Amino acid sequence: MSEYIVEMKNITKRFPGIVANDNVTIQIKKGEVYALLGENGAGKSTLMSMLFGMYEPDEGEIYVRGKKEKISSPSYATELNIGMVHQHFKLVSNYTIAENIIMGLEPTNKFLGFIPYVDIKSSNKKIAELSKQYGLEVDPTKKIQDTNVSIQQRVEILKMLYREAEILIFDEPTAVLTPQEIEFLLEIIRGLKAAGKTIILITHKLEEIKQIADRCAILNRGKLIDVLDVATTSTKEMANKMVGREVSFEIDKTPANYGDVVLSVENITVKDENKFEVVKNASFSVRSGEILAIAGVSGNGQIEIADAITGLVPISSGKVILNGKEITHDTIREHINAGISYIPEDRQTYGLVLDFSLSDNLALKNYNQAPFSSKGIINHKKFEEFGEKLIQEYDIRSGQGTKTIVRSMSGGNQQKAIIAREVEQNSSLTIFVQPTRGLDIGAIENIHNQIIAERDKGRAILLISLELDEVMALADTIAVIYNGEILKVADAKSLSVEEVGQFMMGVTE
Amino acid sequence: MLDKIIIDGLSFALPLFIMAIGGIYSERSGIINLALEGLQGAGAFVGALAAVFLMQSFGANSSIPYYAAIFFAMIGGMLYSMLHALLCVKFKANQVISGVVINILAMALTVFLTKIVNRIAFGAPSDKFELGVSERWTIPVLSEIPIVGAVFKDIYPFEIIIIIVAIIAWYVLYKTKYGMHLRACGDNPHAVDAAGIDVAKIRFTAVMVSGALSGLAGMCFAYSISAKYSSAIYVGYGYLSIAALIFGNWKIIPTLAACILFGFANSAGYQLVKAAGLPSSYSDLIMVLPYVLTLLLLVFFSKHNDAPKSLGEIYDKGKR
Repeated sequence: MSEYIVEMKNITKRFPGIVANDNVTIQIKKGEVYALLGENGAGKSTLMSMLFGMYEPDEGEIYVRGKKEKISSPSYATELNIGMVHQHFKLVSNYTIAENIIMGLEPTNKFLGFIPYVDIKSSNKKIAELSKQYGLEVDPTKKIQDTNVSIQQRVEILKMLYREAEILIFDEPTAVLTPQEIEFLLEIIRGLKAAGKTIILITHKLEEIKQIADRCAILNRGKLIDVLDVATTSTKEMANKMVGREVSFEIDKTPANYGDVVLSVENITVKDENKFEVVKNASFSVRSGEILAIAGVSGNGQIEIADAITGLVPISSGKVILNGKEITHDTIREHINAGISYIPEDRQTYGLVLDFSLSDNLALKNYNQAPFSSKGIINHKKFEEFGEKLIQEYDIRSGQGTKTIVRSMSGGNQQKAIIAREVEQNSSLTIFVQPTRGLDIGAIENIHNQIIAERDKGRAILLISLELDEVMALADTIAVIYNGEILKVADAKSLSVEEVGQFMMGVTE
Repeated sequence: MLDKIIIDGLSFALPLFIMAIGGIYSERSGIINLALEGLQGAGAFVGALAAVFLMQSFGANSSIPYYAAIFFAMIGGMLYSMLHALLCVKFKANQVISGVVINILAMALTVFLTKIVNRIAFGAPSDKFELGVSERWTIPVLSEIPIVGAVFKDIYPFEIIIIIVAIIAWYVLYKTKYGMHLRACGDNPHAVDAAGIDVAKIRFTAVMVSGALSGLAGMCFAYSISAKYSSAIYVGYGYLSIAALIFGNWKIIPTLAACILFGFANSAGYQLVKAAGLPSSYSDLIMVLPYVLTLLLLVFFSKHNDAPKSLGEIYDKGKR
């Protein structure tokens, strides 16, 4: 038997308009943690989907344990002891954890000796044992809808272990987790490795690779660039290979040049649906040419501030003034027309209509105005022209140009599309909420530069981010929010990372 | 009068209930089933057809045609429902449109075929099959209990069959592998697929179950309310059972409660018309009562509705 447990040789996979994998060869040893590194849309997930039997390669061969295999379905992959945790979990929300894990391989028993039923009791016991064995504590009787993403991920891992998987594929496992949860997951992966499992980790986060991977294959635009030994390679080197050019971790930022006050928020209070005050008496202002960043731990009211300013949620008291005009209780469209651009946190729900084409999405805020429509009739030709222009200018990559259905695009390119649309509004105020969430470094660098370019054009920028590094790198002024209250507003240069961190935890002095 | 309300209420509620269970099977698997109306009519047509031919050889008083009719109605409903399954599962058609088309087709086809069969086989120009009313059983002792005893009085045999089938259906849906997979399909078919289970097969069979149970219900209506098979069977029982299952939150036990409520609303309405000495044309108006009740109840309770998450969504493996 060869020393490799999995070999994928000369794999090519094409989708309409795009070559997802171009003659890729990877070889994975038993018991190692093998990372697949690449930008969004580099073809990592596609490659692993073929190993898991969700797609079949157009060209190339797959060997598992030295034997050539044609993996035509996920069930066959399971038979070969290959398991996969998908980026989007595949769980039944109204079933318990145990029911989800056993589905497809249910232990059955016979009532009165002839009436078959699924033996939930013994499953619960078995799952509890399994979760203890690997340090993945879960309550088997809890329903999925009552659990958080971290628990759901554990359930997905337990699903693989229940099926006796030996080769475990993780697709961007840390994208949805908090820093503490990430630590915990990495610990679990170390445990799995110690138990003799082979782990394939799809990611674009260099830190994680550095921490747990043995080897790392780098993909760029469907091609295998290199396979590196992680211990002897710096993260900088990996980053450059992944993006295909020199990446700077530093941001070039000229000193700010402030103008007049654009946005002024005066003592606003916002209540949630349970009448609970999520934003309490908050005040701050943003000048043109200024990036004001609101720092804070997730769930402290920062998203609600953005929603209140854009008119998505009602304000119970206080005022929002834009360019000297009060807009507190205006409609959302009036907010847009008054000059507010908004890059929302949840780009798939609030930023895009996923089943519309790229050009339709790009015109989403202007469709009702000339030249996109006249007298209520839409001119699709103008949509196309506008789309083509933005695709060029903002380097939005997609399979079929303006006609691409946005759902099929990678997260990074979806975000590029939203930013292109919002920046093109030429608004006096642009609000960015978590603009780089889930994106790779190439895309992050690109977006950071764009935010600064917008500032330098004299726009006012309100940045809301949970990433302290991002706040420190971009902000001219920092406001820290804690429990719905703005605890501190100060010039970014006057604050250290530690001080901001303290305020974020609610420590005032 | 109270006895009468209970007896008629139950004999109306139970067929409604078994049809609603069929709807629950289909919808919990993720397939919208507006076709229940057509399925019960088509099933009853097949059952009635079997009955009229069997009555020729066994005589009108034999109970063999009665049970055979119920059996064939289930087979007929199941076969006809495969059209809905084929359109929705195999050809990924819009499930609402498919359901509506199936209803229209069922009515047109069965009325046409009834006339043809009557002319060719019996040489009589008629658009109905005379079936006669089913016999009725009264359980001694139990039926003597005041008020509650009415539940055991004048029972149609089909009511017993329905109760047995309902218990089996409940068991299968909640306790067996198949039932677990079926309910999972309605929530997240991707999870089912990832577990190596064939989503299409589950959904196809779920729709077939709804066909069989609807056929059973249709035959019961034909043997109780109308005593014959004619186009009068298409008066909206199917839609009422859909209302019941929505009101019952796609769960079998609450749906039973909803059906009993509708049944009693219906029978109490009839008794009121009778007691008030109103002309029979008013009783048609009373048929509206359960629907009005549904509408009002849904307005107040629909906030707590918990429809299957993937209901009506065409399963497409590639979709993220």
